[in-house]
Amino acid sequence: MSKVGHESEVADEDKVRPPRSDFRDAVAWTGLGLVTLIGSIRMDRLESQNINPVTIPGLLPGLLGLGMVLLGLVLALRSWRRGAFTLAEVPADPLHREQRKRVAIAIALCLGYSVVLIGHGLPFWLASSIYVTVSILVFRRISPNPAERGLPPRIIARALVIGVSASVITWLVFERLFLVRLP
Amino acid sequence: MLQGLQDLGAAYLSFFNPMTLLYGLGGAFVGIVMGILPGLSATLAIALLTTLTIKLGTNDAILVLICSYVGALYGGSRTAILLNIPGTAANAASCADGYALAQQGQAGRAIGIATSGAFVSTLIGVVCLALFTPLLAEVALQFGAFEFFWLTLFGVTMSGSIVGSDPLKGWLMGLLGLLIAQIGQESLYAYDRFTFGWDELSGGISLIPALVGAFGLAEVLTTLSDPIERKIVELKDSVLPRFREVVQYRWTVLRSGIIGVLTGLLPGVGEDAGAWMSYAAAKSVSKEKEKFGKGSIDGLMAAETGDMASIPGHIIPSLALGIPGSAPSAVLMAAMIIHGVQPGPMLMIQHPHFIYHVVAMTTLASVAILVFGLFGVRPLLHVLKVPRGILMPIVFLLCTVGAFASASRLFDVYAMLAIGIGAYFLRRRGYEMAPLVLGLVLGPLLDKSLRRGLVLSDGSLGPFFTRPIAMAFAAVTIFTILLYVPAFKAVVQRIRGAIGNALRGMVRRGA
Repeated sequence: MSKVGHESEVADEDKVRPPRSDFRDAVAWTGLGLVTLIGSIRMDRLESQNINPVTIPGLLPGLLGLGMVLLGLVLALRSWRRGAFTLAEVPADPLHREQRKRVAIAIALCLGYSVVLIGHGLPFWLASSIYVTVSILVFRRISPNPAERGLPPRIIARALVIGVSASVITWLVFERLFLVRLP
Repeated sequence: MLQGLQDLGAAYLSFFNPMTLLYGLGGAFVGIVMGILPGLSATLAIALLTTLTIKLGTNDAILVLICSYVGALYGGSRTAILLNIPGTAANAASCADGYALAQQGQAGRAIGIATSGAFVSTLIGVVCLALFTPLLAEVALQFGAFEFFWLTLFGVTMSGSIVGSDPLKGWLMGLLGLLIAQIGQESLYAYDRFTFGWDELSGGISLIPALVGAFGLAEVLTTLSDPIERKIVELKDSVLPRFREVVQYRWTVLRSGIIGVLTGLLPGVGEDAGAWMSYAAAKSVSKEKEKFGKGSIDGLMAAETGDMASIPGHIIPSLALGIPGSAPSAVLMAAMIIHGVQPGPMLMIQHPHFIYHVVAMTTLASVAILVFGLFGVRPLLHVLKVPRGILMPIVFLLCTVGAFASASRLFDVYAMLAIGIGAYFLRRRGYEMAPLVLGLVLGPLLDKSLRRGLVLSDGSLGPFFTRPIAMAFAAVTIFTILLYVPAFKAVVQRIRGAIGNALRGMVRRGA
């Protein structure tokens, strides 16, 4: 995307994300680059196979690791010059706290479905029905609008109907109509 | 030339059967619905449909995917106009003028203009696709390991520089993509790199699960984390396509179409670059500059034609070079490989008719969006009224299916989860996904080209910098990186200013 369209977005980003956050990123990038570089140097050079030394498997990964270290250091330098150590860290506002809570719940639900429910003997349609129904009810329960938070039997029944229909339709379309195997 | 026209005619004729047309309309329908839903991108639409169509014939499957690609970008402008949120990243430029028109009670007119602009510009792109792909493929036949090495680096560097606002973060994402692509068995000696004894990693990280994670799960998390739900603007007037405006703004349409195709040729920059550059060009020459951002028809037409024309533009290097122009075209390329068609310079030799089939498919896709523009806008918009808490769990269900179905491996589902969660946090910290995708796609080619090149040159780096085409790519790549160094940038700006002044002086003297 061109810079034109990003001006306002950039301003928002800078407001939300202080240079210290970039500095933490820089440390992580440099660390990943170093680990990659060390891993590449220690990688088997297949001397026993008598290969051409310029074709060792660790060549490109090593160069990529080196590139990552260099760019990580540039990011660290930039964040330092922008005041990573002088500007105070902005505390999270209520909106950000709410976002964090919602995303933690969403990740937990997704992991519960993909890691626990799927692939361990439970039929696909049943596992999916449980996941979709529970997710609909949970996100209704944590809705920012208090009027929507209630879970009367009618709402639970509706969530169940949506969950089961979505799962059964997906199963029918993929496995029966287009002959694609499902977990 | 005559043979080309004959092949093209045969390709068009081969699509005139009810089942094929139904596949095309079905693909466009799914694409439009995914495009209308904020956050769900063309990349996700194509990735999910790739798994759904895995058992179809090659032409039918690719037709569905191309129609969904065009449909998703077309659908995304509806959301930009009615919600002021781009349905896909490519529609961001349509937000300002489209939403301003909607607030003035002209939402239907804005949608009609978007429909006609999208139809005409896709056709402009199709003409370029038919003309330039065979030419580019012929040039690419001269490319060797040295040229491909620089071409891949050029792609990742350009993608990192243009996509997003921070080139440094773009390049880091490109490096990360290239690094992830190195995981698994390498191609020369079948040696396991970074697998830590884990057998399932030997096959590497597959592209489809990675993209479903980066564009599907990451979007699900982004959408669900936002506590505020937006309301759409009421549609009161007619949404029928407005071809009168296309004639009235014909120069904008033509200019934006060409800019769209040209930006499409750049590797990994995405459709949004086409839209923004067309929008900026239209604004700079428009007689009604002050209206831009406040409901300008010229601005909306430029944004819509720019992004749609870049679709065929992105397909050109994907087919001719095997280097995708955008994330959706990367998935499209992966789908072609799954169906036994290897994009790249050899495509014209191994599958000489395929390019013309793609031209016919893209034409059919533009007709499909026109059909939906005429008859299906209002009913399809009801999808925007479904609360996110209901829609997103269903989307994640599809993501899981999409990640699993391409190879029937649970490992791919876990890879999708890891990449999706990682992508969510990286995006929140200002990192774009497009360079990562390009790195993932081009990683194996970069590795192969570097080592083959070094074998050919007997370990010398000379040919990487002295062969003419390699030298040109190397110069542009290094120049793009050096532009980030303030001292170098200042020198470039001074030289540019001096040349500009000299030219202005010459023009004045001439006058």
